[in-house]
Amino acid sequence: MPRNLVVSVTLMLVACGRPDVVQHVDLDQSYPTQAGGTLIDAMTGEPSNLISMLAGESAAAAIAGNIFNSLLKYDKNLELVGELAQSWEVSPDQKSITFHLKPGMLWADGKPLTSNDVLFTWRLVTDEHTRTPYGADYKLVQKAETPDPLTFRVTYAQPYAPALDSWAGLHILPQHLLHDQDINTTAFARHPVGSHYYQLSEWKNGERITLIRNPHASQGQARIDRLVSRFIPDPAAQFLELMADNIDSMNLSPIQYARIFPARPELLKKIAQYRELGNAYTYLGFNLHHKPWDDKRVRLAINYAIDKQELIDGVLLGLGESIASPYKPGTRWSNPALKPYPYDPKRALALLKEAGFEDHDGDGLLDRNGKPLSFEILTNQNKERQMSAVLIQRRLKDIGIDAHIRVLEWASFIGRFIKTGDFDVVVLGWSLGQEPDQFNIWHSSQMDPGKFNFIGYSNPTVDHLLEAGRLELNPDKRQTLYHSFAKQLYDDSPIVYLYAGYGLPAIHKRVRGIDSPAPPAGIGHNSYEWYIPEPLRRNEISQ
Amino acid sequence: MMRTLTNPLARWGFGIIAVVVLMALFAPWIAPYDPDDIDVKAILLSPDAAHWMGTDGLGRDVYSRMLFGARISLLVGFVAVGIATFIGVILGAVAGFYRGWVDIVIMRLVDVMLAIPTFFLILAVIAFLTPSIWNIMIVIGLTSWMGVTRLVRAEFLSLREREFVLSAQTLGATNARLIFMHLLPNSLTPIIVSTVLGIASAVLVESGLSFLGLGVQAPQASWGNILTDGKEYIQFAWWLSLYPGMAILLTVLGYNLLGEGLRDALDPRNTGARD
Amino acid sequence: MTQYLLKRLFWMVPLLVGISLISFLIMHLAPGDITTTEAGFNPKASEESRQKLRKIYHLDEPLIVQYGLWLKRMGTLDFGESFAAHQRPVLWQTKDKPGSPGMIQEALPITLLINILGLVLILATALPLGLISAVYQNRPPDRAITVFVFIGFAVPGFWLALILMYWLGVTHNWLPISGIHSLGYETMTWPAQWLDIGRHLVIPVFISTLGGLAGISLFVRNGMLDVLHQDYITTARAKGLSEPTVVYRHALRNALLPLITLLGLSIPGLIGGSVIAESLFAIPGMGKLFYDAVLMRDFPVIMGILTIGAALTMIGNLLADLAYAWADPRVRRGVAG
Repeated sequence: MPRNLVVSVTLMLVACGRPDVVQHVDLDQSYPTQAGGTLIDAMTGEPSNLISMLAGESAAAAIAGNIFNSLLKYDKNLELVGELAQSWEVSPDQKSITFHLKPGMLWADGKPLTSNDVLFTWRLVTDEHTRTPYGADYKLVQKAETPDPLTFRVTYAQPYAPALDSWAGLHILPQHLLHDQDINTTAFARHPVGSHYYQLSEWKNGERITLIRNPHASQGQARIDRLVSRFIPDPAAQFLELMADNIDSMNLSPIQYARIFPARPELLKKIAQYRELGNAYTYLGFNLHHKPWDDKRVRLAINYAIDKQELIDGVLLGLGESIASPYKPGTRWSNPALKPYPYDPKRALALLKEAGFEDHDGDGLLDRNGKPLSFEILTNQNKERQMSAVLIQRRLKDIGIDAHIRVLEWASFIGRFIKTGDFDVVVLGWSLGQEPDQFNIWHSSQMDPGKFNFIGYSNPTVDHLLEAGRLELNPDKRQTLYHSFAKQLYDDSPIVYLYAGYGLPAIHKRVRGIDSPAPPAGIGHNSYEWYIPEPLRRNEISQ
Repeated sequence: MMRTLTNPLARWGFGIIAVVVLMALFAPWIAPYDPDDIDVKAILLSPDAAHWMGTDGLGRDVYSRMLFGARISLLVGFVAVGIATFIGVILGAVAGFYRGWVDIVIMRLVDVMLAIPTFFLILAVIAFLTPSIWNIMIVIGLTSWMGVTRLVRAEFLSLREREFVLSAQTLGATNARLIFMHLLPNSLTPIIVSTVLGIASAVLVESGLSFLGLGVQAPQASWGNILTDGKEYIQFAWWLSLYPGMAILLTVLGYNLLGEGLRDALDPRNTGARD
Repeated sequence: MTQYLLKRLFWMVPLLVGISLISFLIMHLAPGDITTTEAGFNPKASEESRQKLRKIYHLDEPLIVQYGLWLKRMGTLDFGESFAAHQRPVLWQTKDKPGSPGMIQEALPITLLINILGLVLILATALPLGLISAVYQNRPPDRAITVFVFIGFAVPGFWLALILMYWLGVTHNWLPISGIHSLGYETMTWPAQWLDIGRHLVIPVFISTLGGLAGISLFVRNGMLDVLHQDYITTARAKGLSEPTVVYRHALRNALLPLITLLGLSIPGLIGGSVIAESLFAIPGMGKLFYDAVLMRDFPVIMGILTIGAALTMIGNLLADLAYAWADPRVRRGVAG
């Protein structure tokens, strides 16, 4: 009897309230532009708060980016344009920048947005009391002033080329709501008021964040009424939700993109796949403080021993590109003269022999002075990096190099190995930003524990180029500097560039107005123009 | 062994375990391919004559990886439970033999450990210590000894009052002799049963840790991480999850049937004798 | 009885101290702290600012001082605020922050709901199964039940869950796949709200029930067998009482008594086992909260959950013992215990 009860209760739950599914509509028909509707997407993590100078994680950046504006932004071709600023000018001595704000802008609560808010935000991010890791760029500003409510001027001690990029990355916060608050503990962080297309409607902890259109938006009105971000930590569950039409968009894995979609016509019928330039590259980095990695011949040998095309085919199913400089392929900063090191195991063996590594004892492993060439490849719990490490390990074994793999969860990885410099070789990623300055990663002054030149790269020429790049505001001269910098890196081979993978968003075909093929900035650059024609919307419970 | 297993289910359990153990032992000779041999031109092939269980995301032969994974999964089970049994027997024996304040302290420790959700503890320690196969085995072992401790203590408490122990004591047997020659051999039944059942749980815990990304790590294959690799393609590359899923199911089932069968077989209730 | 209760309560103090010590020590095995994850790995984050964060969180104090601070807070049930989730109170909403409910306050009811539902279903299914097994000892029904409950225990839960999610959620679109509330939950009437939560919980509760059947049904079976072999049952049979009367009136009652204790002991397992299900089904309960806290090195949340989990277990054990004492006349009269 109890079992019957269980069964019948289950049946009742199953039978009731089958969700209303949009049926019998032609998803390929075209519809006129129309405002309204709800877009549901999925993210694996939940933001800790929505003030991005405090939060730092990508989930927070994604949601806060719909709520707050910066002074500047990157357009679809990755050129800097004004966002809150209408225009800006750099002084003849190149030390100060004057931003002119667009007139008549409002916060979501209807209060005016002025240069005082910008000044206030700059004070916050440079305040010692603020728990932000992002203050360094803004602390270089010697003087910040507001000659009038629509003008904001910053002055640097010396020309600072990455300055404009930094002002595209600082969300401007409302002074009138925060001036009497402690930024570290304020309730505002979870109840934000911004100036961008959307405002927070509801935050259900652990479940979802709902944004609705901001009637006072500073950049005009977006078309879609509501954005819902559901937190679904498991990628398999996310994909099931996408298949069941419970979410409209997610980022696909290469296997989902290249294998599952083509095999499932019913998915292709309702979901569009996109491909965009990725925002990061994956590399194998040597600890240059450890032997034998101080020997350039050994580093080059490993570089020749790794088949980058096989990595792209195996790990990304071809959905990526190999790179030879630490910049987005195809952008001006990427040096077109550099080509990835080819796969050439013979050359690798020759270089290793030159460095003293040979199989002297006939055990199949290369050795020098009786010690085999053996080391550990460290990486974190990222599926693509793990697969890359496995593939590299295998190919190195083929030529007699004994590599082990250790996979760690992020906090241990950073705290125990990277910060202490206790590693041989890492497989990791760096993001590919729009700003070419990479002083923090490659300058020899950035080697202390916790800094980002943890591989210990030191080259006076590179130091000089990086310093010069920061002072140079002329884009063409900068380009020359950074091309030379990339050439030096290429020759020294302190890291092996493995690949830059594509971003693979999948979006339900009910969402219209998406640029395809994706421009350099990716498909998200005009999400405010996306729309969902009424016949294609989910049956929503009116609110 | 088979003679005591009158129960057919226990025989089935024993049979399954025997097959799995043999496959694990002889993996290098049975496996048709090198389990780590990558072939990016043969990614996610469905099962056929060349690859009985298909290939995985790096073109490796799933059947060979399953065979080698059996070694890891069984090793985790054996070693973890070995550690737990070792600790449990010693603490239980000490508590049950000496009684008094030693007993009180040990049993309070047991209570503390039992009050903390074990999986939380394992999760935290593995995440903090890094998930190597040794850490996993040690941590599972260090968090699952409480049951054995209680069992052994209870056995000792009751055995101590038996005549054969008391007479040995009056004959001048040392404590060590009493413990190892008289008490421990007579407590073996519950220890064996709980060991067999413990291995089953450890195999499941490893697969659970793999699901969370904290199990045995690449490139080493375990059933848990093969299954986890396959979970994203469950409706597409079904072979990546079906075979490891079934392997875990059958093995855990086998241990459980064997454990329960042993309990029944060695239990006086079934023979009618209540000595 | 009162004395017994007082003694039990007294013993809870050293237990709590022991638990706090263990959880504190485990936490400090950890290399890396909140400042390694908070700033992520952003090249723009400087080490100086991370040092600053460490100071604010007292992470630069000696361990013993940190433990002292922690004990003090535990004594007053003040688990402080989360490192990671922007100062949300760990345990309960505080007066000075009205809009921000405590993390455990929100997560615990969800986990308890799932586990209590699961426990009720387990009991409702496992009791009859165990009983049938005992009555038909070593005959086909017993064998079939044993194999069935062991398969339920042995199947990797997340694998079966994904298959069910695909089959019931995608192929047939009968049930929601993940989460616990639908999008329009707030605007539903309360029966619709209950139905909505219920529909979300069908698969997770089914999975947890299936996994828990074996323990209880075998316990009932073996308990019944024990009792059925005892003298008073033999006497009852000899008196000519019908077999159902013997089984249901005399044996079952005595076999079920130890089950109460077992239920009390199963609480930490239930809470701990929720990690995987909650991660897979995107349910914001204690397990998910704990897992996230571990990955973020969110010490106050980790310690809060371990302590609250342990306290719940002890309360559960205490209630179980009291219930046992109430149900078993021998204990009630002070003969045993």
